[in-house]
Amino acid sequence: MSQSPPSVFEPASKPVSPFSFGRVMVIASSSVTQLVRMKTFYFLLAFAAIIVVLMSLNPPTTPAGVLSTIKRISFGTMDIFAWLFAIVSTALLIPKDIEDRTLYTILSKPVRRIEYLIGKLLGVLFVIAVSLAVMYGICALALFSRESLYIAEELGAMQAGAQYSAEEVEAQIALIQQQGLRLELGIAVLASFLKSAVVASVTIFLSTFASSSLFSIIISVLIFIIGHAHTMATSFWLYQTDNSLLVELILKCVKIFIPNYQLYSFSHGIIQGEAVSYSLVWQMTGLTGVYLVVFIFLSLLVFIDKEF
Amino acid sequence: MSNCAVEVKNMTKVFSKGLKKSDYVVAVDNLSFEIETGEVYGLIGPNGSGKSTTMKVALGLMAPSRGSVKVFGFDSGDIRARNEIGFLPENPYFYKHLTGAETLKFCGKLCGFRGGELKDRIAELLELVELEGAAKRRLGGYSKGMLQRIGLAQALIQRPRLVILDEPTAGVDPLGSRQIRDLILKLKEDGITVFLCSHLLEQVQEVCDRVGIIFEGRMRREGPLAELIQINEQTSMTFAGAKPQLLAKVRDLIEAESDATIVEEGHPKTTLERLFISLSKSEKEEEERK
Repeated sequence: MSQSPPSVFEPASKPVSPFSFGRVMVIASSSVTQLVRMKTFYFLLAFAAIIVVLMSLNPPTTPAGVLSTIKRISFGTMDIFAWLFAIVSTALLIPKDIEDRTLYTILSKPVRRIEYLIGKLLGVLFVIAVSLAVMYGICALALFSRESLYIAEELGAMQAGAQYSAEEVEAQIALIQQQGLRLELGIAVLASFLKSAVVASVTIFLSTFASSSLFSIIISVLIFIIGHAHTMATSFWLYQTDNSLLVELILKCVKIFIPNYQLYSFSHGIIQGEAVSYSLVWQMTGLTGVYLVVFIFLSLLVFIDKEF
Repeated sequence: MSNCAVEVKNMTKVFSKGLKKSDYVVAVDNLSFEIETGEVYGLIGPNGSGKSTTMKVALGLMAPSRGSVKVFGFDSGDIRARNEIGFLPENPYFYKHLTGAETLKFCGKLCGFRGGELKDRIAELLELVELEGAAKRRLGGYSKGMLQRIGLAQALIQRPRLVILDEPTAGVDPLGSRQIRDLILKLKEDGITVFLCSHLLEQVQEVCDRVGIIFEGRMRREGPLAELIQINEQTSMTFAGAKPQLLAKVRDLIEAESDATIVEEGHPKTTLERLFISLSKSEKEEEERK
């Protein structure tokens, strides 16, 4: 005997798991759609314009100097974009959901609050990762084309007079290549990404209790600035014994509660053509993971009892 | 085993207004009621009476200050309770950048639906709420009535056993309002429990089996609708085709009794809403004939 099809209303909800990575990904992809439809990718056009302007400039300096300038400006722009975007988008997403009460709809479904928080964070990080990859692609293309052009020009000029030895030509080419496109530059991009991931997790924590997006943005920027004085705070803490109680308290707070954004500054050396310390890269990645876990946990502590 | 879909036991919800301990407001005070599986329960009361707070506690959006709320035996904060609930808020709150179909897809995925099953369910619900034509339009361009209908569709996406409706017909025209009421009755027919909060009393009267009247956070009256609205000391009779002579005889009979009096006499009236719907239908039929 054939069974009649179930009614549109017939109750048959699916069993629900205590934690679902699938639900996290649904929230993450919805955040990505939200950010994309907010036309956040338009800044990529601005970045491309900066590169075009840089490429058209011909400053009175050596080829290596020109390549170094292109790298410093484009990687600097990428870094600023990454952390600024992390702060602004994260500070807007959760308060907007609360303000528009979209959170009602989401949290009245079988969704855990931790899944919501992680989903939002992953959505922001995905957009940052894609943007950084695109910007790095544009920058790499520009560097490669300039580098090839300079090498061809130098080779032509040095070999024309026949007054330079092969070693001298090689040294000159190596100098250009050092400032050109190198695989290690990817680590500088990774550093920007990891730094923005920490910035986003700090902002998520702030936006779980902040009354406005503006408050979250201002405090996140302040924490970002203070986080760059981490080494200074640490050395004061370790080596100064005659600090006042207040100064000592502030230094301890900076050391314990503010992420060390200085850790990611080693990428400046990579951009300038210095060698990469891989132990520092692992340290940076590991510490980023710790920061993410700590700030998501703190966010959950506030968010879990929040009433809407 | 209890047959309760919702069990509210001595639930109190207090909101603090400031930093002082003495600065607080009691939104719901020692509220207790039960909703049986398969019934339509209406919670009515004026604005600020505690209806929405009770609903939010049932949805796990708030925790009770005292007492407990259970949904199908699970604590209302438990994710398994929410898995059984479909919720339609008073003003549907969705992402305006998503289309109708994308909204249902998003909600369906949150409830564990994927692939063909989800696609079929979305098509089924869009047809049910008559929004197939607007499925690819962003919600930012939807009217209030359309938002309410897509809200109802998302509430039903996971085939819940309990549907909570907060002012489901607020801002909806009479025809849309009628459709929603018909849907509620259809839900009941299929054994789904409905918890309805409204201050549109006529609407509650039409669909609810049992009603609770809440005022200033306290339950004032509660019980089966028929019992609550019945005036026990009066009887009404409606005649069809009665001639004036017959009515005169009935009047004489009643007047002959010393204890009985005629309180009211006249023609039964239809409601303005029924009149509006019948006129709209006949207009539509006439247009179709032309």
